[in-house]
Amino acid sequence: MASFTPYTYIQCPCHDTTTTTTTTSQSRPAEDAPSPTSPHSSDDDDDDHNFDPRAPRSNYSLYPLEYLLWCDVCHQIRCPRCVAEELVTIYCPNCLFEVASSSLKTEGNRCTRSCFQCPICIGPLAVQSLESAPEPSLLSADNANTATTPAGPWILSCSYCNWNSSEIGVKFDKPQGIFAQLQKLRHGEDSHSKHAVGGDTSPTKTDSVAATMKARFSAMRSFYSAQNAIANPSSGLGDYGFSSPGALSRIMSIYSGNNAGSHKQKSKGTMTREADSASEGFRALDLDDSSAVSQLRRDGWDSTVIGDQAKSQVEEGARFAEELWPIPYLLRTKRSKRCPVCRHIISKPESKVANTRFRMRLVANTTIPSISIKPFNPPPALLKPLQPVQYLLTFRNPLFDEVKVTLATPATTPGRFASRVTVLCPQFQMDPSTESGMYLVDDALKDDNKDIQGRRRRGTEGGTHQAEAGKIWERGHNWVTIVVEVVPASLSLEAPPALLRKEGEPEPDLSPLKEDEDVLEIPMFVRLEWEGDVSHDQMSTSTGKEKDAREKKELAYWCTIGIGRISQE
Amino acid sequence: MSSSNKRQSVLPRMPAGPKAPVNFSSSITIADSALLAGKHTINIGSESVVHPRARLDSALGRITIGRRCVVHERTSLGAAPASAPASDPTILNTQGGVTIGDYATLEVGAVVEAGGTVVGEGCVVGIGCRIGSGAKLGKHCTLTPLSEIQPGEEVPDFTVVYSNGTRRLDRRGITELKHKAQARQIEVLKRLIPSNPTKFQ
Ligand SMILES: [Zn+2]
Ligand SMILES: [Zn+2]
Ligand SMILES: [Zn+2]
Ligand SMILES: [Zn+2]
Repeated sequence: MASFTPYTYIQCPCHDTTTTTTTTSQSRPAEDAPSPTSPHSSDDDDDDHNFDPRAPRSNYSLYPLEYLLWCDVCHQIRCPRCVAEELVTIYCPNCLFEVASSSLKTEGNRCTRSCFQCPICIGPLAVQSLESAPEPSLLSADNANTATTPAGPWILSCSYCNWNSSEIGVKFDKPQGIFAQLQKLRHGEDSHSKHAVGGDTSPTKTDSVAATMKARFSAMRSFYSAQNAIANPSSGLGDYGFSSPGALSRIMSIYSGNNAGSHKQKSKGTMTREADSASEGFRALDLDDSSAVSQLRRDGWDSTVIGDQAKSQVEEGARFAEELWPIPYLLRTKRSKRCPVCRHIISKPESKVANTRFRMRLVANTTIPSISIKPFNPPPALLKPLQPVQYLLTFRNPLFDEVKVTLATPATTPGRFASRVTVLCPQFQMDPSTESGMYLVDDALKDDNKDIQGRRRRGTEGGTHQAEAGKIWERGHNWVTIVVEVVPASLSLEAPPALLRKEGEPEPDLSPLKEDEDVLEIPMFVRLEWEGDVSHDQMSTSTGKEKDAREKKELAYWCTIGIGRISQE
Repeated sequence: MSSSNKRQSVLPRMPAGPKAPVNFSSSITIADSALLAGKHTINIGSESVVHPRARLDSALGRITIGRRCVVHERTSLGAAPASAPASDPTILNTQGGVTIGDYATLEVGAVVEAGGTVVGEGCVVGIGCRIGSGAKLGKHCTLTPLSEIQPGEEVPDFTVVYSNGTRRLDRRGITELKHKAQARQIEVLKRLIPSNPTKFQ
């Protein structure tokens, strides 16, 4: 049985799109967020206002604390899903060269500087001379001798899986400009003479020039722009072509509805026809698979590609290993992130590719307490149904202010198997986190004392120190531990006796256990209240106020706590 | 596997115990701190190199290393078989040693179990690989680091084992080049590793 690590996921306020879109930067979305009025009455509340961590939608808004960002202005959690991203830098992950966004438009989203991935194992490919073929294990002293006299032809080779480009018949005349050479070999006129793969076996390859995606696209584009010119001779688009800015602004005015006449023109246009010949970019599907079948029969399973290999190819449709081409590295980006509501930047990386630091990064765990979960007693591998277990939840306050925490959970967990949940101390205060390292010693001493006390306590009471309702279990300089008691539900599926069922009640769901349905997850509503410095945004507007003005702040959010798996007895 | 303190506990004991019978070619390079043990003969072919702390154990059978092989640090040849496969326990051959073909390279920390195990000519056994008892590697196979070959398995010539046991054929056709490179590497290693074959004879 795999071990289970308890976890906490926090819900971003963007789960409810209405709150994020309607709130302005002044109001706080969390205040509109649903909250159970009390742990016990929550069942009677509107069910749709109760947070169910198992609902399919919840998947998209639940994140570990480390993933969450924080908007200082909105005073709210922001997650990777809802932030607005902007490209800062575009670069190749292999050669780390920055690519300008203008060349991205002309040359595509792949590195054009001879950076290639192995089509078999996605390892990096190196350019090697076929003549010397240096061994990777060769010592550098020896390598230097051979490197002085490099001679073509050159190949791309993978030092991991030993694939090389000569397997698909690709050899290069010079070691520079591999991208262009490869492009020429693949799409150029001389592709037949150079790229002769298995000659007799692949008749589908003979018309490969016209079949390449790029060639077809350009043929199709010229065909359809000609058709467009015939259809709309008076619209003026034909004169400019689609790439001119004038045409673009015309199109925009058409879509914005200012130009009512254009609609009439469109309907009046003569009939256009669709592409129907190879010169127009049309390709009929080749239904004759006999050559593929005979190749499969001859070369067997090993000559075919696997799904991942076919997917990572630049052009689709590869079925045999010899149709796999080196993959130019996909470019990557560094992005800055903006708050979706107030548009302030909340994360901005250094623009230099090699610099991994951030100029600015507001993360949620500087505001939200972290929650760690520990079983009260040494953990059993699986939770026993209907046997109460206690867990220690430790809240650690990252703020430099005292924080009041209020917790609420539904009395039973949502879903088919309702486990009972009781938070023994749903309200408590957390002391502020201190800045200096001084307290660490203090805290360590305190921890030591506590250990001794704990041992003593255990000694006197015979190892049964009871958790009390309404009382904090343990407290440190900026953390508080409370006890949560859980009665796991039984996972047995039995239809309730027909007598007990009310008229019109839906049929109980007796389908077998679904994936992870045996995981006991507690939805928990956390509400934080504290007095903090007035945020910068309001400071600037209210200049008359004193610098050290304090204001009451609050934050409320749902989180889900995964405790463990219930045994299926 | 040999942790550092385990090595130290073995080293002083070595001269005291009976030496393993050896049959060395005169042109081999064997480091002073290589560990040779066992009662069967250990043969090493001409121009082969045995790095420091390589462990050759002929307790279960004779160990034969071909010509121009490189046995790297902390490799273990003739290790006791870890376990028999549950499907066929009889496959486990506790008798029989290890045969390494010419031009083979065993990289750091590779383990070749005893029991009639064969590593073919020109094979490259990557870092931390384990070759099970009685397995037979064909010629010019490549095992990428941390690959495992099950006991009794037969691996065809030119197989590349990579990515958690995926296999493909090496079609580079550079056997000759590899042999040349191996020879050059051995030239360098000869200068770098002080050889002391007399210690073991
Ligand atoms: Zn904001
Ligand atoms: Zn979000
Ligand atoms: Zn690159
Ligand atoms: Zn590869």
